[in-house]
Amino acid sequence: MVNLTIDDKQVTVAKDATIFDAAKAAGIRIPILCHDKKLHPFGGCRMCLVEVEQMKGRLIPACTTPVTEGMIVRTTTDEIMTARKLVLELLLLKHPLDCPVCDAAGDCDLQNLTYEYKVNANKFTDEKFRWDIDYENPLIERDQNRCIHCGKCSRICDEIVAFGAYSFVNRGIEAKISTPFDEKLDCEYCGSCISVCPVGALIAKPFKFKARWWALNKVKSVCSYCGTGCQLTLGVKDNKVLTTVYDEDQGFHNGQLCSRGRFGYQFINSDKRLTTPLIKKNGTLVPASWEEAIDLVVSRLSEAKKSDPSSVAALVTPRLTNEELYLFRKLFKDVIGTDSIDHSAGYAHKALTEGLKESFGITASPSLIEDIQKTDLLLVLKSDAYETHPVIGFEINLAVKRQGVDLRILSDKSGKLTRLPDAKKYIHKPGSEILLVNAIAKSILDQNLADPAAQSLPGFDALKSALAAVSIEQISAAAGVPVEAITRLATDYAKAGKALILLPIGLGYPGHGSELTSALANLAILTGKLNKEGCGILILGEKNNSQGAADLAIHPTAGGRDAGAILEGCTSGAVKVLYIAGENPVVSYPDKAKSVKALESGAFVVVQDLFLTETAQMADVVLPVKSFAEKCGTFTSVGRNVQQIRKAISAVGQSRSDREITAELISKLSGAACGGSSAEIFTEIAASTPGYSSLSTDSLGDNGVIYPVVITPKLVPVVGVVPETEEGKFALLIGSSLYHCGTMSRYGEGPMLVCGESYLELGRTDAGKLGVSEGDTIKLKSAAGELNLKVKVGTRMPEGVVFVPYHFETSAINSVTAGNPVTWVTLSR
Amino acid sequence: MIVPLIKGLQITFSHLFKKAVTLQYPEEKPVVAPRFRGLHTLKVSHNSAKCVACYLCPTVCPAKCITVEAGEDANHEKFAAVYEIDMLRCIFCGFCVEACPVDALGMTQEFELANYKRTDFVFSKERLLEKR
Ligand code: SF4
Ligand code: SF4
Ligand code: SF4
Ligand code: SF4
Ligand code: SF4
Ligand code: FES
Repeated sequence: MVNLTIDDKQVTVAKDATIFDAAKAAGIRIPILCHDKKLHPFGGCRMCLVEVEQMKGRLIPACTTPVTEGMIVRTTTDEIMTARKLVLELLLLKHPLDCPVCDAAGDCDLQNLTYEYKVNANKFTDEKFRWDIDYENPLIERDQNRCIHCGKCSRICDEIVAFGAYSFVNRGIEAKISTPFDEKLDCEYCGSCISVCPVGALIAKPFKFKARWWALNKVKSVCSYCGTGCQLTLGVKDNKVLTTVYDEDQGFHNGQLCSRGRFGYQFINSDKRLTTPLIKKNGTLVPASWEEAIDLVVSRLSEAKKSDPSSVAALVTPRLTNEELYLFRKLFKDVIGTDSIDHSAGYAHKALTEGLKESFGITASPSLIEDIQKTDLLLVLKSDAYETHPVIGFEINLAVKRQGVDLRILSDKSGKLTRLPDAKKYIHKPGSEILLVNAIAKSILDQNLADPAAQSLPGFDALKSALAAVSIEQISAAAGVPVEAITRLATDYAKAGKALILLPIGLGYPGHGSELTSALANLAILTGKLNKEGCGILILGEKNNSQGAADLAIHPTAGGRDAGAILEGCTSGAVKVLYIAGENPVVSYPDKAKSVKALESGAFVVVQDLFLTETAQMADVVLPVKSFAEKCGTFTSVGRNVQQIRKAISAVGQSRSDREITAELISKLSGAACGGSSAEIFTEIAASTPGYSSLSTDSLGDNGVIYPVVITPKLVPVVGVVPETEEGKFALLIGSSLYHCGTMSRYGEGPMLVCGESYLELGRTDAGKLGVSEGDTIKLKSAAGELNLKVKVGTRMPEGVVFVPYHFETSAINSVTAGNPVTWVTLSR
Repeated sequence: MIVPLIKGLQITFSHLFKKAVTLQYPEEKPVVAPRFRGLHTLKVSHNSAKCVACYLCPTVCPAKCITVEAGEDANHEKFAAVYEIDMLRCIFCGFCVEACPVDALGMTQEFELANYKRTDFVFSKERLLEKR
């Protein structure tokens, strides 16, 4: 610790603090323009000049100067004020001063400081900048005339996003921020640069001119796309969510969001939202009243309940709040008495509900997001972790670039993560993950690197004997990863002081199920990488509340049908009433034909959704529901963080929340009143859900609470199967696009502007062989069907492997897949 | 007691011989002071409204009677796609004129704003545009 005096105040701070940090700790504000707490100090703007007694004779920038013992700092002498005013005058000299038409006005550091320092005249004169404005790219308008050269955009894009879209070019008065060769911006569109730009040089196009910053009501909530659980602030005006507002103090991610979180909010006030209940009459869905719709649903449910409760089944999306999921479980499992309730196609939650359950005795990851930056070695399964959870990707970037974490990626394709500095990639043949993880486990045992304590754990002997049959050489040949690489990875993992494993899961990753999870858990258990900071395994749930759905057991637990069996049951006639809340099996579940057949089978289908989705179009009753911005409740995100969402606008149309609808159904079916606010339901959840017992909505606050878990590790032998290959065919992998999450992001304007249709991604060599280039259409054929897709040529895919995202309904990839990790396809022009 | 009464009558009679104050409105029109704050006008320059839709006037308006909605024109410039003032709520304080950073708004001497329907008091951009 270092002691110093700032404006006659005694301050004690850590020795790596700067004068700015010390002043902040003491509650003294020093104006800044180019400094940002998330970024390395830059010292470019000189707005933060202060005077230091020991360095008299010149003014010192507070943001880059480390504190020293006994320093005496002054922050507001006349000389300092004059200097800061001069800084502002120089910045304003070439600045267009077009505040009336600039979206940053009101939230502009330059405007605020100009006002504060009363800069109302300029002693210099010069021409204004005349740079061309970039209107070309879909989401970010770049007006370099307003730029004050703080460098924050290029620094954040490099340091945190690790994309590197911008840098300064030219010198002196010609200097500006530019993209490579001054072309139009073509990047990840995470919007981080917009959020940190202190002026209006970078603005969000979807929000351009929509409203003034000061007119927005700012409501704190949680992103409703992926499981990362980023906190966000909704900008609301006239009962409409107009934008997301950056708040650098929100969440572990300091307000940083990904493309869909920042630009994908338009689904909330989309014209396509359902506004009234619909009932199918004579084959077409027609508007109906709530009473009529609810009565119909109640009569069908009670009929089925009376004759055979197991003929009722439900598919419930993990996008709902915990409170809603809890009520759904109550409605189906307790009130109606059917165990056939499931979500995420029945497989996308198994890593949590079966894998972790078996290996650790709990359904949640033992590790936390903060472990990513605290570990020594990070083993990521699939480079897709970046696409599925981009803001966790930022944490990985920071871990590698700032903390020197040793990143290892075991993946069937390259990607953003494999390009990080010193990242080691192990590109294997599709579908051989379990084999490889078993080989690593085997190598750990062979090298005697297992933790002695692990030998007394249950399952050790079983694992040892199971692995005895495993041959690293054979696996190496089958997976296409050299033996040395496997053993080296095993050694490094086992010998690392701390090691963490990341596994993304989701509808696009059927291979990431319970077996792979247990195989990975074996590594952590064998080497004792558990129960310690920076150690363990972190499963990245796909949707905003995937973790909550696992915690609340929204899956069969007593022999009921799982999602696949529910659909089959509809077709066979065993399921008479199918209740679908928010799921869209027609597009997102594998084997489109199977879902369509089930929905056409004659079962009575109720769909509760925001939109008339492909699934809803086939329903008998459609109920319009509220989006996350219209209700309160809680989501549980990756790393067990239970966070609150807040109501930002009133209901769109006549929509009701899933909670209100379910509560009404429960009351009507059971005869006992069911109601209560979400806070009251949360109390019930806390009382009945393991881990949640210490929580209440009051204790959640703004940052949420991470609920505690206790694990009982067990080694579970799993058998890896050598994936089948088909000569002359391509291995088709499905997965998530960086700009989408599930099928909901298709209703967001931002994601669709960047990636509006499906595509097939393949490597250059394959493209050359097939004679196709970017933008061409290619025909893809599998045993199940065929499709035409746009070609995207990239560097990610190894030879013989192609990738298609699963989110889209036109050229829906689920019409050629059947739920296997790899599908063998032929491609032709 | 009689004296004050006589004094009063004196004043009354003296007025019989002075110029009348009453104005025969509407036959006669009053002379309106140049800085009178009447109906608003949106000033025009180069054939289009000067207003750049900065939203400062709706922000400052104490009666919250101005509605502005910005639009983007073909040159990516900002303009007021909607500009409305609800004269029934306006208190003619003139703050909006004072707030305008581009001198796009003025107030005229026009004060005859009576009308039949409430909706007629909502002045759209077309009605407010300066007549030349
Ligand atoms: S949007 Fe994100 S990736 Fe694109 S330039 Fe800005 S910070 Fe970089
Ligand atoms: S564009 Fe914005 S963030 Fe980037 S250097 Fe200019 S002012 Fe700073
Ligand atoms: S989609 Fe996921 S990573 Fe992106 S902002 Fe939302 S929660 Fe964060
Ligand atoms: S004159 Fe006053 S009340 Fe009327 S529109 Fe202007 S600011 Fe509002
Ligand atoms: S203050 Fe002036 S420029 Fe701004 S919206 Fe009002 S009239 Fe238009
Ligand atoms: S904030 Fe310190 S130099 Fe810019």
